[in-house]
Amino acid sequence: MASIARTLMAARPAISRLAPRAAPLARTPFRTFSSSQMNLLRKYTKDHEWVDLSADHKSAVVGISEYAAEQLGDVVYVELPEAPGDWIEQGDAIGAVESVKSASDINAPIRCRVHAINKALEEKPSTINQVPEDDSHGGGWIAKVDVDEAGVKEFEGLLDAEAYQAYVSTVDEE
Amino acid sequence: MRPLRHLGRRSILHPPPHPPLTIPLTSSRPFSESAAANPSNKTQIYVSRSHDPLTNLSLEHRLLQTSHPDSIVLLLYTNRPCVVVGRNQNPWLEVNQARLGPQSHIQLVRRRSGGGTVFHDEGNVNFSVICPPKAFHRDTHAEMVVRALAALGEGRARVNERHDIVVDRDEGKTFKVSGSAYKLTRLRSLHHGTCLLRSPGLARISGLLRAPGEAFIKAQGVDSVRSPVANVGVEPAAFVDAVVAEFRSMYGGQAVEVDGFGEEVLEFEKVREGYEEMRERAWVYGQTPRFVLSTEATEDDNRERPAVPFESKLYIEAKRGIVNKLTLNGTSLDSPSIVGASIWEISDWATRLRDAGAGVDDVKEVGAWLDGVLATQP
Repeated sequence: MASIARTLMAARPAISRLAPRAAPLARTPFRTFSSSQMNLLRKYTKDHEWVDLSADHKSAVVGISEYAAEQLGDVVYVELPEAPGDWIEQGDAIGAVESVKSASDINAPIRCRVHAINKALEEKPSTINQVPEDDSHGGGWIAKVDVDEAGVKEFEGLLDAEAYQAYVSTVDEE
Repeated sequence: MRPLRHLGRRSILHPPPHPPLTIPLTSSRPFSESAAANPSNKTQIYVSRSHDPLTNLSLEHRLLQTSHPDSIVLLLYTNRPCVVVGRNQNPWLEVNQARLGPQSHIQLVRRRSGGGTVFHDEGNVNFSVICPPKAFHRDTHAEMVVRALAALGEGRARVNERHDIVVDRDEGKTFKVSGSAYKLTRLRSLHHGTCLLRSPGLARISGLLRAPGEAFIKAQGVDSVRSPVANVGVEPAAFVDAVVAEFRSMYGGQAVEVDGFGEEVLEFEKVREGYEEMRERAWVYGQTPRFVLSTEATEDDNRERPAVPFESKLYIEAKRGIVNKLTLNGTSLDSPSIVGASIWEISDWATRLRDAGAGVDDVKEVGAWLDGVLATQP
C-alpha cells in the first residue's frame, strides 16, 4: 500500500494538490478506531496495512489503514483473495483495490494463509473508505488469516499504533 | 505524499524551454533487463517498434517489475487495432464482441491497470511512465504530454478533472484525446495513457464499445465513462519525439535510450510469461467481477428491460466468468453443463441449455440470444 498512500486523490480539489501543506495535512490520520475496543495486538506496516493478531497467535485479521484509505480516494472495487488460500509471504499481494482508475495491490503484512474474506466489500467497496480499520461485521477489514511462527515473528517487527502514527506524520511532513 | 508534489512542481509549473523536436534517440541498443535494473540508469527511455498489444503490455509490466526502484522510465508504443478493457471490467458490458475477432482484425485485451475501456490502433500512441511511488501524481505525466502537444502546435490541450487529456475545440466543444490508467505496486507506480493522433478508426469506436447485453447486465467492478473523442491531428512519429523531448527536459540527459526493438523481447522468459498470462481467456474473461444478467428488473437493477425474442424470464449469475446460477422462469438449471461452466468455453448455448433440461423453445431462442450477448472471442 505504500504506493497507494502516496497517491493523490482525484476527489480532492485541484487547489489542494497545488498547496502541499494545506488541507491534506490538517486532517488527523486517525479517527478513533471503529472497532469496539482498542486492540493491543494491532500493528501496522509502512505499506499502510494493519494486522490484528489473536491472543493465541494462531490467527489474525488484516486490512488497510485509515490513512491509506483516505489517500486512495473512492474505492470502486475490491479484489479479494481466494478463501481458503495458500500461504502467502509477507509483502506479496493478498488482494487489490481499484480507485480513481488505479489498480493497487494490497500486500500481506505478515506471512499468512487466508481462511475467510470480507464478502461485504464486493457489494459495498466504499466500506473501505468509511471504516477501513473496523474488524467487526460491517467493517472494512479485508481477510481473516491463519498465522504461523514465521508470521508471528514478522508481526513483532511491525509498527505499533503510536509508531505508525508517528511514521505517517513524517510521511506527510517531509 | 510529499516528494511527488515538490518534484512535480519544480519541473511542471516552470518547464524549461522546449528543446528542438528533431533530436533522434541516440542509440538503438537492444532491450536489456539488466540495464533496466541497473541503479546507475536513473532515467530510461524505450520506444517499441512492436505493434502487438500483448507484447507491449508485457514489456511494460516487466519494466514495472524490474526497473530500478529509484529510476524513472518512459515507454512509447503503438498497437495494431484492439479494444483494451480495464483490470476490473466486464467485457460483455463494455464491448460489442461481434465486431471484434479475426474478421475485423480487432483484438480484445484486458490490461493490468485500472480504469475504463479504450480503443487502440496505428493512429494512436501509448505513453507509459514508471516512477517511484513518492514521485507519483496522476497528472504529472499527462501534463508532460500536454506540453508535448503544445510544442507540436496543439495549444488547446489540457488535463481535466478525470486526469484525461482533452482538447477544447470551436463552439465550446471539448473532446477527449487521451485517457489514463494506473497500476500501483509497493515499489513502483505506473501511469499509462493513450493519445489519439490520426486514428482512422475513430468512427468505429462508439459502435465497438456498445455491448448488446448492456441493458441486461448489472456488474460489480468498474464502468467506463463515455466521452466524445477526437484526433489531435499530428503525426505519431512527431508525437513520439515531442514526448521524449519533454521527458528528457524533466528528468535529465543521462538517459538510457532503447529504440527500435520489437517482438524479440518475448525471448525474455518473464516477458513471455506475462504475455502468455494476458493471452489466456481465463484472464481476458475470467478476471471479470461478479455480474448478473437478467431479462427482468431486479432489486439491484430496476432498469426497464428492452424486449427479448423469447417469452421466458432468464436470470444468470456469474463470478470470474463462471456461471454460478441460471434460472428460467425461476427454475434453476442445476446441471454441470451450465453451473460451474466458464462462459468463455461456451460457444453454443443451445446445446448447454438442452443438456441442462431446458424446454425446446428455450433451447433454441434463449440459446441463440445468449450466443450474442455472452459472445466471446475464439
